[in-house]
Order: sequence, then structure tokens, then C-alpha cells
Amino acid sequence: MSDTVVPPQPAAPAPLAPPAPAPNPDHVTLTIDGKSITVPKGTNVLEAAKLLGNEISAFCYHPGLPVVAQCRQCLVAVEKNPKLQPSCQQTCGEGMVVHTTDPASTLARKQMLEFTLVNHPIDCPICDKAGECTLQKLYFDADNADSRVDTQKVHKAKVVDLGPTVVLDQERCILCSRCIRACDATSGQHQLDFAHRGDHEVLTTAPGEQLDNPYSLNTVDVCPVGALTSKDFRFTMRAWELESTPSVCNGCSTGCNIEIHHRNGRAWRLIPRHNPDVNAYWMCDEGRLTYHELREHRLAGAIVDGLPAGWDRAVKVASDRLASGRAQGALSVALSATCSNEDNFALAKLAQAWGLTSVYIAAKPPVPARADGRLRTADINPNTAGVKAIAAALGLSTKPLFELDPGVKALVALGDALAGVDVGRLKEIEYVALATHERGAVPHARIALPIAAWAETGGTVTNAKGHVQRMHAAFPAPGQALAGWEAITRLSQVTGGKLAWGNAREVFNEMIAVVPGWKDLKWAREARPLALRFAGSRG
Amino acid sequence: MADVHSLKQLVLGRQDVQDMSDLESEVPPDLMTINMGPSHPAMHGTVRIVLTVDGERIVKSDVQPGYLHRCFEKESEHATYTQVFPYTDRLNYVSPMINNVGWAMTCEKALGIYDKIPKRAEYIRTIVSEISRITDHLTCVGASAMELGAFTAFLYFLKAREWFYELLEEVSGARLTHSYVRVGGVNKDMPHGWDDKVLHGLAQTDKVMVEVEAMLNSNKIFRDRMAGIGAISREDAIATGCVGPIARAAGVDYDVRKDYPYSIYPEVEFDVPLGTTGDCLDRYLVRIEELKQSIRILRQCFKQIPPASDAVHGRFLIDDHRVALPPKHDAYNTIESMIRHFKFIMDGVKIPAGETYTFVEGGNGELGFFLVADGTGRPYKAYVRSPSFVHLSTASQIMHGHLIADIVPIFGMINMIGGECDK
Repeated sequence: MSDTVVPPQPAAPAPLAPPAPAPNPDHVTLTIDGKSITVPKGTNVLEAAKLLGNEISAFCYHPGLPVVAQCRQCLVAVEKNPKLQPSCQQTCGEGMVVHTTDPASTLARKQMLEFTLVNHPIDCPICDKAGECTLQKLYFDADNADSRVDTQKVHKAKVVDLGPTVVLDQERCILCSRCIRACDATSGQHQLDFAHRGDHEVLTTAPGEQLDNPYSLNTVDVCPVGALTSKDFRFTMRAWELESTPSVCNGCSTGCNIEIHHRNGRAWRLIPRHNPDVNAYWMCDEGRLTYHELREHRLAGAIVDGLPAGWDRAVKVASDRLASGRAQGALSVALSATCSNEDNFALAKLAQAWGLTSVYIAAKPPVPARADGRLRTADINPNTAGVKAIAAALGLSTKPLFELDPGVKALVALGDALAGVDVGRLKEIEYVALATHERGAVPHARIALPIAAWAETGGTVTNAKGHVQRMHAAFPAPGQALAGWEAITRLSQVTGGKLAWGNAREVFNEMIAVVPGWKDLKWAREARPLALRFAGSRG
Repeated sequence: MADVHSLKQLVLGRQDVQDMSDLESEVPPDLMTINMGPSHPAMHGTVRIVLTVDGERIVKSDVQPGYLHRCFEKESEHATYTQVFPYTDRLNYVSPMINNVGWAMTCEKALGIYDKIPKRAEYIRTIVSEISRITDHLTCVGASAMELGAFTAFLYFLKAREWFYELLEEVSGARLTHSYVRVGGVNKDMPHGWDDKVLHGLAQTDKVMVEVEAMLNSNKIFRDRMAGIGAISREDAIATGCVGPIARAAGVDYDVRKDYPYSIYPEVEFDVPLGTTGDCLDRYLVRIEELKQSIRILRQCFKQIPPASDAVHGRFLIDDHRVALPPKHDAYNTIESMIRHFKFIMDGVKIPAGETYTFVEGGNGELGFFLVADGTGRPYKAYVRSPSFVHLSTASQIMHGHLIADIVPIFGMINMIGGECDK
């Protein structure tokens, strides 16, 4: 038996390496702490590290502001570079190797913290920022070491009135200059500046100026410590007691994205939420203070002829009174640019069911002085674009409410802003108000039905640029107030309109099927309030 | 043999005998279902037993805990690691210090500082733990004796227990819900002269033990009610997960302090008593012996504890800025300690993400805490392996075939603590 020689098998071909991606001329690839990442050219190291989940500590850096590399808190080691570099200012370069956890840069950042704390007052228990303070967060995330410095702290002014909205505590200030840049960036006015040098350096108003621009409160948001406090919010509520619900400002047609910070069934402050398409990181002071309205002059129960009534009786009486107007063809409906898309769509559907072909649009009068080409617009109604789109989609012609036809005998109007309408005229007709507040024309209504305001119910508004933006309910509406669409549904059920929606989402889905251009919109899940205490430190 | 009928007449009178015999004939021959608890003097805590009885004999028993709605585990997810300590006090509330220590050790293991706790802190922890074990056993034995009619033993033991409660109050500030232990050590050092008071209390307790043992150990009623009642075999005890005095009474040689030594237990001498029959009498005897062993451990601890002046071992709290609250004086006077204090109170000790199981020898046996941390200052999930819950699960099995009256010693010796069972 002869030995068979098995010829050596040819080696399996080596698996082909995946083709190297063609280098994108607009991108650079670098290594941070041993991890490789590709980012667009011009990105700084701090942002690139954040993409890898590595938050480099920083005080003065803010993604919406020019970089100044002032606080030195974000120092990192870059290979082949003899000195540590501020990662906020260091743009990423091709093949760069960055270390953020090496002994040298870690020590530098710890020492910076120790240095920053040398003259910081022991104010946490009385400081409004405690609980959402960047200084507290960074110190606690670092090593919590005791200070090695044992000298008197440098004392500075504790209460400096910077203007109508903001108070400065110069001792707490860590001189990061965020507020100076925020003031410049949001308002275009240079109203804040530094004075003096060394450990006597203070933040102050620029010569001859005070902090009185309409975006002044953004400086409070960007302050990493409790140096700048809002006169409106200071000493009212501790930050960690609050809950946050995402929403949209209803102050004007810009529709800045906001967080409602609320507790115990009321809002305590509004904070801008980042949206690069609408408001970036900012909002105006006026919009920020609109939450006060949610507690003033609210209509909490139905009113019939000046006396309180239950819902059942109120809609029954409304139905009876409107019937005669309908019979004469003298019934009319006013949509409102101050209410949500859902409320307006519901009322427009009811108008259709009643056989109307034209509706009025109620609104607040424009304020031309507001328009500044930044965030503030002349139109102070949040939903002018939305209400027009809805009326057009349902084939209803529109007229402003101040052109109210003399023949109208009965009017169902949404909202309390009936600008330009003669109140004497309203008193003479059967005016049924669906309103959040008992003000303007509403006290003259024969029947007033209470509806929930913007912070109390889920819905959408459409801003001047056509963004349909979602609001979430932060807390319940007062008294017997119902969501607007729900109130209209009840009214329709006694007047033969046969609308039957169970929730705002059903209204929304029916609406987007009708309004051109809204077809692809999605109803976001209801946002549950986020307790700031459990959000970790916001910093 | 005495004539039973005439005896009955002697005791009850002619008419009553007649009545009883009438009744007997009306007792239905089938099984009867009755409730014991949830509110019943012999039900320690609030627990319900649905009994199926054949006359006085238990055929089936359905033990239903859960009436306390404790929510320890769920509540813990909303509290910082330090804020969980008051919740652990309320687990086994007759030996809260041991629960404190167990939770602290779990957090320390998760933090990786398990072996860095100062010696003095470990000794203080052991001292308060053993005092707690004494109060636990005194309560269990005293209450069970009382339920069997031995009221004096109960009063004597509770008197001794009160001495220790007062001592624990002196060290922690609270008689029952101490919340004394902290992650990294204890809240504050032992008060000056406290050790002498404890040693005096131990000496007094020795005398009480002699008195009570004389009253109970050879008492015929007590022995008859305990011996042979509620026995569990060694195999069954292991199979059902029994631990502590119940397992040891059945001959299972398992004591966490010996088998998985922690803290300073390797440095003290003590014996683990074992029973043979696994019945109520053995459980009682094991507990009495453990009382004596705890006293023995305590005496050694006070001899060995490093003085507070010892720079290395004399601290009562770890010197680690990631874990320990700063001294109050510093918190009020330096911004660094102020921030540390603020963040520890508001955000809690940050424990790195991971899972940990740690266990100690509680009053009733292995008391374990399983912790899932997510890197924040609050537990993502906290689970407690409470001995009472496991022991209660055997209750139905060991009550089977006994009389209704036997539930009282069985339940007393299981020593089910509602706060721990209804976690």
C-alpha cells in the first residue's frame, strides 16, 4: 500500500480588508483617550470628546457662545505639544492624539478647581443656584479635596443691581465671562464687562449702561454659579424641588422651545430649551415671564349670565341660545391665534358642522416695536400661521374679528383676545366665550366656558416659520376647565355637531390628515415631568 | 384508670357534661377553615394564616404575609444611599444596627472600600451589632415564653432589653430606629464612659439569664409546649434556605460570622451553638447560647478596640472625601466642605455602576443586600434577602399536624419580623 501524499492545501485567501473609507476632506479623525473619532473640520476637542461620552469639565465654554478659553478648566494634553491645551479652543486636527485622563491634565484641572474655590463664598445654603451649580458639580465629580489655602477670602459686593431683571453677587462670580458674551450675542448690546484685575476683578455693567436689554435673563441661564440671579425667580423656589416639562413659549409667533419648571400645580420659571432651528439656546425676557399669566384672572368655572354654572347646564343653555342665531343665519364663529392647533381645528370642524363657510380670527394686536430681527416678533400670537392653515384646509374663508358683521346675532369665540371688537356690540349679542382667562371681552360674555391654558394641556402650535411644535401638559388646569377641544366636543354634542374625540392625539391625527403639508407630522409621546433632583446636577 | 365521665362531672357538673356531649355530636365531621390573624396577639407583626383544621389539628395552613406594605426595596430607589439607612432600621426592628451594618457593607463593597474601614469603626459596628443581637434574642425568647404563660421571664428579659436600648440610644440618639451606621464607618464616636456602662449591663444580664434559665429550662409546661414541636430536619432546613438560629437548631453549622468572616469577627473568639432535633426547644436553647456568645464577643471587643487617639485605626469614619461627610465645623467654614456636604445630602454618595451582594449574620440569620448601582447617588435596584421571609415560607410545612395552640410557640420561635418579611 503506497503512501498517498496529500498535497498541501492552498491557504485560504486572507479576508479582504474593508475598503478604507475615502477620506472626507471636510472631516478629521483624531484619537481621544485611545478612542478614534471622526468629526467635521473646525470642531473643538471638547465637543469631540463629548461625542465619545467624555464630558471635559468647563466653566466658560458654552456651545452657543464664542470661545475665550478663560477658565482653564478644560485643559487636556495633546501629544507633541509641550503645554496643556484648553480643549474648548483647540480645534481637532488630523491624527491628533489627545489625553484627558493623564496625570498632568487631571492635576491641572483639579488645581484650577481649587484655585476657583479660593475666594468663593460659603453660600450654598442660601444660593439660588445650589443644586444646579456647575461649580458644585465639577468639584464633586473631581476629588472633593480640601483646600490647601488658608487665608481670608477677598470680599466683594453681595448685591449689585445690574438692571430691572438681574441681581449680581460679585463674590460668587468666577469670572468666566459667559454672561458678557451671552449679552453681546443675544441682544447685540455690550452692557456687561469686567473691571479691575487679579483677585479684585469684578463683573459690572459697561460704562453708562445697565443690563436692560430684552434678552437680559439669558445671562442668568448661562451663569455657571449663583452670581447672576433673576429678580423674578430668586428666593422663591429651590431648584431641586422643581419638575421640568418640555413646552413651547406662547408669548409670540417665534415659538421658542422652553422647559416649564413647575411644582405644586404651578409654574415657577421658564427656561429656554435648545432648538437650532428656532431659538438656539435663548429666549426673550417677556416670554420668560408669561408664566405669571397662568395664575392671574383665570376662568375656573362655567358662567351663565354672570352666575356660576356647571358644565352640563352651561352647554345646554349655550345650545338653546345659539339655536335662534343659527335659525336666522346670524351665528358666527371666531377661531383664535392665541390657542393651539387642536382647539382651533375642533372649533373649525364645529363651524363646518353648523354649515358656516366663513369664520373670524381673533388675535392680540401686533406690537411693531417688538420686532428686532432676533427672537422677538411683532405678532404676539403664538399660532397665527396654524389657525390660518387650518381654516384654509377646511375651506373656510377668514376675516379678522374686528370686521365683525353687523348682522351677527350670536358668536362663539375662542380665547379672550378679541382685539378691536367693540365691547358694547358684544354685550348686545349672544356671545359664548371659550376662554382661559376672565379678562378682555370675556366678562361681557353671556356664557363663558373655561378651557385649559397652554401649559396645562397637550397640543401643538405653529410658529411664523411654519414649525408645528408640541407642548406638553405640565400641571392640571384650574377648577373645571377642560382642554379647548374637549370643551368644543361637549358643545357640539348638544348642538348636533357630533364631534367625538377622546384625546388631543385623535384631534391631531384627524387634523394632519386634512391640512396640506402636515401629513408627515407625528404626535410625540406625552412627556412625563422630570424631577430636576433626579436629573443629576444640571450644572 | 379513672373514669373519664365521672371526672368530667367533677369538674363541669352534670348539666355541663350533658351540654358538651350535645355539642360534640353537632361538630361537623368534615374539615373547617378558620382565620388566624392578620391581627392577632400571637401573630408577630401582621400576618394572616388561613387554617384548615380537623378538630384542633392543623391539616393545612396558608400563610399570607404582605399586610405591612413596607416597600423597602422600591423606596430605596428614590433615596440616596445614606437615606436608605433609616429604611433598613425598619427591616428587622428589634436588631436595627445589624441591618445598618449590612447596608453599609454593601455600599462599601460596591465602592471598593470594603477593606479600608478604620479598625475602631469596625469595632464600634461589631459592638452595636452584638448588642442588637442580644436585644433581638431577648425579645424573641421573652415574648415566646410570655405567650406560653411564663410572664415573669418576659418581664425579666424585657427589663434587660431596655438597658441595652438605652445604651444604644446613648450612642445613636434613638432608642429603636438608630440610623447610626454610615457608608465608611459610623455616624459618631462612642460617648465617653459608654463602654463601662455596657460592661455593667452585660454583668447584670448574666444574672437575668441565670434567673430566666432557672425558670424555663426545666419547667414542665414550657418543655412540653416546646419539645418536639415544629421540628424541621437538617436536610429540609438546608433545602428551604433556613439560616440563623433556626438552621443551627436543626444542626446546620452555618454562621456568616464564622463561615464568611467580615469586620473584626476573625479577631474575636466565639462558638456557634448547634441543636440536634430542630424543634422549638432547640431553637430556644440555641438562642440562649447565642446570647451568651454575644456577651462574650462584646467583652473581647471592649478589650481590643483601638483608642480614638490612635492616628491610624482610631477614626470612626473613613477619611475618604468621595464617601464621608465632612465634619460639621468644616462644612460651615470652608466652601470645599460645604459643597461636599451639600452634594452628599442632595445627590448622595456616587457608587460606580455594577452589582453587589453582601450579607451579614442578622438576628435571624443571613441578612443579605443585593444592590444594582448605576453610577448615580441612588440605588438603581436594592433587594434584601431577609431571613424572616425565608423562614416564614417554611411555617406552613412545620405547623402541619400540630395543634392550633402549637402555632404560638412555632411562630414565636420562627421569630418572623413583619418589617423584614414584607420587604
